[in-house]
Formats: sequence, C-alpha cells, structure tokens
Amino acid sequence: MIARSRRPLAALVAAVAVAASLIATSVPASAATYVVVSGSGSTWSSNALDQWRRNVANNYGMTVNFSGTGSSAGRADFIKGTVDFAVSEIPFQAAPEDGSAPERSDRPYAYLPIVAGGTALMYNLVISGKRVTDLKLSGEVVTKIFTGQISRWNDPAIQALNASLTLPDMKIVPVVRSDGSGSTAQFTKWMSTQYPGIWTTGMTSQFPADKLPDAKRQSGSLGVSGYVGNDNGVGSITYVEYSYPKGMGFPVVQVQNAAGNFVGPTAENVEIALRLARINEDQSSPDYLTQILNDVYSNPDPSAYPMSSYSYMIVPTAVGGVFTTEKGYTLGEFVKYVVCDGQKQAGALGYSPLPMNLVKAAFQQITRIPGSAVGEFNADSCNNKGAAGEAQAGGGGGAAGGAAASGGAAAATAGDAAAAGTTTEPVYDANGNLVSGSAGAGGAAAVSSPFTLAASSFGASQVGMLIATILFVVAVLVPPLLVRRARRR
Amino acid sequence: MSIVDAQERVRETPTDAVSRGGGRTRVPTAPAGRARPERRRPGTAALEDGFDLGGALLAGICVATLLFGWIAPLSGIIGWIVVAYIVFVAVYAVLVGLRADRLAVANRLATVLMATAGIVVLTALVFVVLYTVGRGIPALSHPNFFVETMRFAGPLDPLDVGGIAHAVVGTLIQIGIALAITVPLGIVTAVFLNEIGGPFARFVRTVSDAMTALPSIVAGLFVYAALITLVTKERSGFAAAVAITVMMLPIVIRSADVVLRLVPHHLREASYALGASRWRTVWTVVLPTSRSGLATAVILGTARGIGETSPVLLTSGVTAEMNTNPFSGPMISLPLQVFTFVQSPEPQMVARGFGTAAVLILLVLSLFVVARLIGGRGAGVLSDGQRRRATHRSRHDLIRITHRTRTDSPARSGGTTPTQENP
Amino acid sequence: MTDAVTEIIPPRETKTSTAPRRSLRSLPVFSDRVFRAVCFAAGGVTVAIMLAVGVFLSARGGQALASAGPSFLWVQEWNPRDGVPDSFGIAAVLFGTVTIAVIALLLSFPLAFGTALLISEILPNSVKRAMVTIVDLMAAVPSVVFGLWGVQYLQENAVPVAQWISSTFGWIPVFAVTGSDGASLTEASAFTSSAFIAGMVVALMVLPTQTSIMREAFSQAPIGEREGALALGSTRWGMIRTVVLPFGRGGIIGGTMLGLGRALGETIAVYMIISPIFTINWQVLKTGTNSVSALIALRYGESSEFGLSALMAAGLALFLITLVINFTASSIVARSRSGAESNG
Repeated sequence: MIARSRRPLAALVAAVAVAASLIATSVPASAATYVVVSGSGSTWSSNALDQWRRNVANNYGMTVNFSGTGSSAGRADFIKGTVDFAVSEIPFQAAPEDGSAPERSDRPYAYLPIVAGGTALMYNLVISGKRVTDLKLSGEVVTKIFTGQISRWNDPAIQALNASLTLPDMKIVPVVRSDGSGSTAQFTKWMSTQYPGIWTTGMTSQFPADKLPDAKRQSGSLGVSGYVGNDNGVGSITYVEYSYPKGMGFPVVQVQNAAGNFVGPTAENVEIALRLARINEDQSSPDYLTQILNDVYSNPDPSAYPMSSYSYMIVPTAVGGVFTTEKGYTLGEFVKYVVCDGQKQAGALGYSPLPMNLVKAAFQQITRIPGSAVGEFNADSCNNKGAAGEAQAGGGGGAAGGAAASGGAAAATAGDAAAAGTTTEPVYDANGNLVSGSAGAGGAAAVSSPFTLAASSFGASQVGMLIATILFVVAVLVPPLLVRRARRR
Repeated sequence: MSIVDAQERVRETPTDAVSRGGGRTRVPTAPAGRARPERRRPGTAALEDGFDLGGALLAGICVATLLFGWIAPLSGIIGWIVVAYIVFVAVYAVLVGLRADRLAVANRLATVLMATAGIVVLTALVFVVLYTVGRGIPALSHPNFFVETMRFAGPLDPLDVGGIAHAVVGTLIQIGIALAITVPLGIVTAVFLNEIGGPFARFVRTVSDAMTALPSIVAGLFVYAALITLVTKERSGFAAAVAITVMMLPIVIRSADVVLRLVPHHLREASYALGASRWRTVWTVVLPTSRSGLATAVILGTARGIGETSPVLLTSGVTAEMNTNPFSGPMISLPLQVFTFVQSPEPQMVARGFGTAAVLILLVLSLFVVARLIGGRGAGVLSDGQRRRATHRSRHDLIRITHRTRTDSPARSGGTTPTQENP
Repeated sequence: MTDAVTEIIPPRETKTSTAPRRSLRSLPVFSDRVFRAVCFAAGGVTVAIMLAVGVFLSARGGQALASAGPSFLWVQEWNPRDGVPDSFGIAAVLFGTVTIAVIALLLSFPLAFGTALLISEILPNSVKRAMVTIVDLMAAVPSVVFGLWGVQYLQENAVPVAQWISSTFGWIPVFAVTGSDGASLTEASAFTSSAFIAGMVVALMVLPTQTSIMREAFSQAPIGEREGALALGSTRWGMIRTVVLPFGRGGIIGGTMLGLGRALGETIAVYMIISPIFTINWQVLKTGTNSVSALIALRYGESSEFGLSALMAAGLALFLITLVINFTASSIVARSRSGAESNG
C-alpha cells in the first residue's frame, strides 16, 4: 500500500528533476575562461556586490556568488578555506576584544578596498506636524547622543546648532544594531578616534549592551531603518548605510566637518573625504594594508563628510585548497571591474565611488592574486568618475540629487523628496509615507474613534440614539418571549 | 396446571390471550380522538436558534457602538471588536437560557467559543497571506518572475527583469533530499518506539522530544561545523538538505509517534491472532490505519523544514544562478531568497522578496495537497480506482469458487480453502 | 463409611524422562528478525544524529562553560571574555525565552484547542477538508514572513492594545510598564519590540502544529462511546467533555509540547521583532526581551571563537531544559487513554 502511494511522489520528483535539468541547460554557459568564484562577508557591502555580480554576468558571462552573512563570518570562512574571497569592514583581529584566539589565516592574503560609503544618521523628528529634514549636528553632539549624555531633543547643544528649528521637549530614542555589524564597527571606530574621551569603549562590531539602556536594539539595517521610519519611531535616530534612508525618502543628519560646514553623506562628499585615506604600507605590521582614516575624519575640505570609510575585499595571494589559478584569473577580472567600471553605479546604490588613490592601491594588490592577468593601473581604461563627477555644493539637501539619474524609481523619488524639502506641498516617498511638506490632515493627529458624536451634551441626536438603542434591545429580547407564549397556547 | 395446558398457552398469540381475557400481557389501545404528534425534524435548526444568534450579534454591535461613541471615552477598532464580542456572548447566553436549561446553554456557548477560535485563526491567516501577496503583487504580476533567475538582475533593475526559478528548483531539490532521508527514517523510528519499545526506545523518545526545541540556527551551525568544515569544504545544497533533515526529523518522529499510538490495540491483536508476524502486522494493519495521521506528520515536518531560513543561511550559500547539483556549489532556496531580498534597501527588491514568499506559500501548499491526496484517506477507505479493482478481483474470486464447487469431485474434497488475497 | 462409588486411583509411574519443558519465548521468524534489526538501526541512526548535535553543542560550549563556571546560570549580562567568570550568563536570556514561549502558548492553546474541536466535531464534511487545508496553509507560511508581518504590520496595531492593557490592568505587576524610576510609561516607544508582540507572532506560528495533532487525536475517539454518551442524553459539549477530551489527552499534550518546542526554538521571527536586553524583565508589555535562538542568530556572525563557544553553551542550556519539560510531558502522555483499547 505504501509502495503504491509512493509512486506518484516519485514520479513528481522525477518530473521536477527533468524540468530542472532542462532549465539548467537553457542557461547560457559562461565563457570558457571564467570559473565560478564564491565569497562571503559583509552585509554592508552586499547591495553593491549584488549589482556588480549581475553586471559581470551580463557583460562577461562571469559567475560570482556572494553570501552576505556578516564580516566575521566572512573572515572565518576565509580562514577555514571554504570561500574564495571575503568582504569585511575590519581586518583580521589580532587581539579580539573578548580574549579569544587571534584570527590568523594560514592562507596568505591581501586586503584591497572595494566599496566606500558614509555612515548616515537617519532620524525621525516632527515639529508641529511637519517632518524635519535639515537637522544639523556636530560630531561631538552625535557621540554624546549615542552615549546617553544628551537625552532630549531640546538640549541646548542641539538647539545651538539649529537656530531655525524650535526643537520639542522629547526624549531622544537612539536605535542601534542588535546584531554584529560592520556599520557599528565603522561608527564606533569614528567615535573612538575622534572623541575618545566621550566614547571610551573603542571600536567594536557589537554595540555594547551595557551602554544606553534606553536605546532600542533592532536587527539588521532593515530593522533599524524600519524602526525609525515608522510612525511609532518619532524622536528616534540611528546610524545606517545611506542607501536605506535614501530608498525610503527619509532625511539624514548633516554632520559638521572639520571646516565647519554641515554636509550630508552624498557620494561626492564621501569621495572627497576619502581622498585623504591612507593604507598602512608597513609590511611588518599586523595591520599591513589596512585603512588609516584619521585624516579622512578630519579632512579640511569644505565638502568632506567626516564619517566616511570603505570596506575590504580579502583575497588569497597563493594557490591552495579550493583556490586555483583559473579562479585567480576570474577573481582578478572581477576585482578590476569592481574598482573601475563598477564604481560608476556606486552612487545610485547608496555608496560612494573610490577615489583614485584607493583605486591605484587596489590595482597594486590585484597583481598579487595568482593567475590574474590584470596589468598595471591605467587611468584611461579605468574610469570610475561616472555620476560622482557632478560636483554638488556642500551643505544643502541631504539626498544625492545627481546620482539619482540612473534607473530605479526609488532613487528618483528620493531625489524629488530632497529637492522639495522646503516646499509646503506634501511629498511622499515610494511607500507613500509623508516625507516633507504639510499633509492636509495635519500629520499625526490624535486618534479619533470611528464612531464619535459631534457634541457631548444631551441633544437631539443623543435622544435619537438612546431611543434607537432601546428599540434594538427590545427587538432582540421580546420576540422569543412572544413566540414561547404563542407555542404554549 | 398440566404440561399440556402450559404448552398450549405458549403457542397462543397475544391477541388470543386478550380475547380469552386471561393473558398476562395487556396491550393497551390508544384512546380515540388524539391528534398525531407533530413530526420532529432533528436536523434543521429552529428559527429561534437563528434569532438568538442574530439578535445577540446585533446587541453586541449596538452596545459596543454606544460605549465607544458616547458613554465611555474608549477608542480603537480592536477595543470595539473585543467589547462587541463579550456583549454578544453574554446576551447569547441569556437568550438561550430563556428557553432551555443549563446544559443546553453550556453546549451552545461551547459551540460559539469554538467557532470564535476558528474565525480568529482564519482571520489571522488571511491577514498574513493577504499582506504577503499584496506587497508581492508588483513582482508577481510579471511572468518573468517565475521562469528567470537573478543572474542578470541586480538591485537597480526594474521588476520585469529577473526571477526566482533558481530558488524554486533549489527548494525542491533540498526538500526532496530531506524527505528522502526523513520519511523512511522517521516513520521506522516511530514504529520502533511504538511496536518494539523497551528502555532503548524510551531513550530515543526522550532525545527526539528534546530535539524538537532545537533552535534552527544551531542545526545550521552543527552542519557547518561537522559537514562543511570537515568533509565537503564548501557550501552546497546537500549540506542544507542535511540541516533541514536535522530540523524535520524530531517533529516527524514525535507526530508519527502520537498518531501510531492511536491505532487501537485490538486491531493489532486480531492480526497476531490470525498468525501474522510482527512486521506484517505493522505493514498491513498499523501503517494503513494511521496513514492519514502519518501524512499529517510528514506535512508538519516538511512545513517546518521548508520555511526555515537560518539552517540554510549557513549551509547552502547564496547564489543568483541556477544550480541543480546539490553536491557542489552554493544552492539557494526560497526562504533564504526571501531573507536576502527583504534586507535590501531597494524597494523593488523588497517587492521581489514578498513575491518570493507568496510563491513559497503556494509551493508548500501544493506539496501539502499532494501529500493529503496520497495519504489522507482514513484506514480502510478505498479510492474509486481501488474500489473498482477490489470489486473486479472479488468477481473473479466468485467465478473461480463457483467453478471449483461445481466441478469439484468428492475425491478433491478438503481442497483449497480460499486464501487470503492481498488487498 | 467408605463409599464403593468413589475409587481412588493411585498415580501412574512417572516416566524416567520428564516431559520436555516448553520455553514460552517466541521464536521470531526470519522476517521478524530483520524487522527488529531495521527498527533498531533506524532508532540508532536517529539517536546518533541527535546525540551528535548534543555532543557538538557540549564540545563547543565546553570552553565557555569551563571559563564561566556555575555563575553561568545567574549572571545577567552577555559580554563573553575568556578568563572573566562573571562576564556572561543566561539568566536574562533564558528568562526571556521562557516568557516568549509562555505567552505564545497561552495565546495559541485556546485557539488551537477550539479550532481542533471545531474541525473534528462540529464542521460538516465539506467544510472540514477546507478548514484542514487552511490550517495547513498557516503552517506553510515561512517564519521570515511572519517576522516581517510582525514588525511592519502587527506592531503598529498591537502597541495601542498593549497600551490599553497596561493602563487598565497595570495594577497586576506583570502588565505594568514602568521606567527605571518606577513611573509608568505611556509613550509608544516603550511598548514596541516587546515579549508580548513576539509572543503573539510565535503563537501564530505554533498554532497549526498544535491544531493538526489535536485534531488527529480527537477524530480517533471511539465512535461507540460517543454514541453511547449521546444516547444517554448528553449534549454535544457533554459528549466532547466526557468522551473525546479524555481520549485525546495524549494528543493535546503531544501537540502542545511540539508547539512549545517550536516556540522555544524560533529564531528568525523573534530576532526581527525584539529589542534584546540582558536583564530580567518581568513586564511583558514593556520593550526589551531576549531569546537564546535570537541571541545566537544575532551574534554568531560577528563572534570570535570564545563568543561562539558561549553561544553554544546557551544553546546547550536550552536543549537541557526542553529535555526536562518533554520528559515530564511524555510521562503524562504515556498514562493517557489515547491508543488504549476500546470496544469501538
């Protein structure tokens, strides 16, 4: 009986397998010279890597797989040898903060910069029914907010920087990441470098649990940005990749840079800041090839965004394990695409293109990948100045206006939202949320119950309602009694 | 009295006895002139019952409206529903109590409460499914969503490029492998727990009970550490299938155990009494009797295994390409694809994510329907085809037997007794 | 006086060879021996897989447990540092896990019970199959979708309900929502991401399992006893109460235990909703709770070796607790009538 009943199931599985093989053969075979390359790591960079993976598949028939499981998981995978490359915001930790064994890779490796971006501070503040879109904060105020030293929006330090706004007496709700995250690492690195007296914990991927007991902790960039973007999130502020508030049409804080200007994390401003990024060239140091961003944070350029950084790709520099020369050739071509043509789309994706100094540094490392055929850096063939070339005046709107020119309705909507920031007509983002301007209904009004009466005193309508209620109750209770009496008769 | 008299009396009919005037049984005659009692129809609900229900509903609505609109400063649609429900139940109890006794009131109240539970479950499900499908409609309305892969589609591409065919194939392959391992292993283990028993069986039962609470992420970490790091060195669909198996197995065993326990003992004993061996009893009596329950057990395990993201996150890897080889290379499945899509900042990726979730729900539902079709019938209930075949065989048996008895010579007496046919 | 009718017969001479003693052990046929071997093998493989997971948990968690010692059970923070004994402990995490599971079961048990009875006793056949499919559909929804729905839809609508409960029933300590200074909080941000909301979502996830198992048990209640109860004049509810429920006790408890297992181990939905804290929070409506599986999911990606070991130790603790609960439940189930013989 059971054998008979398994037959249809077996037939179903066989049919699926046949269909699957048909589908597999219908996919165009990749170019004979490329092999499949797999990597894992940073979720911060996964948006960009997904787009680049798709571009190389489209343009060259190259197959690259990337799993966004987290920077530490990526580094661990690289150490174990289960992936061909890893992407991480922080290098291998020689002295992990919790006293466990240092991360040491038996495979020789190199770091190269691939994706740059700014840490954006997304906030949700409503004054008299209108959403605030031009909040300005200094780095010190930001650090104090995220250590709990400034806890209300109308704190004099914040009010002093925003003379045009009457800030409400509301509690600031900081929203931080509950999972280990590269955004936390980059944010805490900036705080610990610039304001070590206020932020004493140093750089960490896990926002400390004992700091900020009143903070909300949400998982993932989606969680933190979703919390702030919700109606319940009025008064909250968080740090997140710029692509999220950009996609949601939400405003971000304009942070004061070393020149005293308040700038937003647009692609141009981040790229300008990163021109002062340096790479550790000391071969004997354990931090060889890692980033030195102290000059970036205090870049004197008037348009530089201080909280800028980039993430690394960790590539093997020797054949072994799963890594072969053919994979090295494919990986080399992929990285070359990423740091050159791929950077054109960085702005649209919410990141920033790598400045030339970092591109040159990347090329130096690509040549160390066994099997790569990428030559020396050639400024003419590697042009990544796409949309970032249009200079935007410092300050001003928070969204990347020019970079929104590429396809994708979301980017365009965000651009419109920013441009319309000061008009009074309501502007909505892709999800229909009110971004700026006054809506007809006056924004968040008090919840009105669905069945209120106009006046509260005893008037004609109230009498009518009372009579109607009594009639209904009578209509419900009386007939059964009448029917019972009729039956008995 | 003599024996003859008594015997004659026994042969009397009652009417004789009555007419004789001496029988001990009196047959009463119906008094004249009484009308026939009305026919009682037990199946249909009386008008009053419907009136009770409708009236109580109205009363609930009205009182809630009154409280929320005028008398008390309550607000919110949920509070309105709760107050209306409470008043409805109270008024209904009163109305039923007007005509019937306490037992009937308790009966009807219980029915109302059970119906409420069903309605709440239905509503919650509708909310969740509608929400998913509603947010996924932008992606679902493009046919390329079902046949293309994400190989040529990235975060900036509009919705008419790209699809999830690779994830669908990945899910089917992974769940196929997992089912191939779990169904035989789980059901045989459940049979072991019930039929053979003993201290080792108790130990197995305890361990599998504890495993039902295993966090799914631990199953993934286990497979990653044990299988991937030590054996295969790369993420693959097979590793994900093993992780899913580890999640599914305890549930299938537990549910099948509960269900096999329900098979009445007397069926088993009857089978033993007829001389069947242990395994034959299990094969022909126990398993067919509990077939619909075993289908439920497999379905519950599949539901858990197919919808879990965390075990496959660590073990299967993420890819945008079609991969039909479970032993090499990352193979993505639908729940992981949902997770990856919705984490993205681009709204069309989020729409794709919800569309993938809707496709997953549909896929699992169709698997369930198939499983219930295969195994859902109760014990002994035959499908139409089986009934026809059984009738056919019986007809053949009848012809064979009548032939044999007709042509049977006495020398062949004690001939073949009808053997038990295989069902 | 001696009666000539009764004659006493002396016992016969016993034979020198005694009658062979017959052994009462059954001699299994070859197929039965194969069957026993196969069953034992299946049980052995199952136990091997499960013990492998348990051994894996213990082995990986051993390092952290050795470093923390018994303080692992009562410390309320999570900052694992090798060599610092009081740096991490599961008190708060385990408390949160149990809180979420209890809330989920409290919400889902009446619903599952009512729905299972509805399907097996009350609904006519045509609607029954549709309702079974609908409950299966609920089991088909992936957990990540429940998490998303919980965060983006349910939370907005549940926060006013939580606010109302805390303002009306705030005199019960569990339902109060107070800040660190004891003053009660009323703003919405104090009610989001709480154990209550996570419990509601998890309740919906364990509902289909519970319902299906209870339904299977109820539908097997013997027809003879049902009809007997009805013939003796009981109402339908009386028949259910006296015949079906005692019979189905094994199914009720079995289904609930499976639901509890799922509720304790649910990862993705919980991790998307809650805002993790590392102190024991008795106020279930207030923001902040934790769960072992969410903790592991949130931290494994960025944890070093020792951190991972601490997470595995937490997983082991959960595993042991489930063992104890299930052991108690199965001893109750073993004494129930489900499966006992009846004259049906």
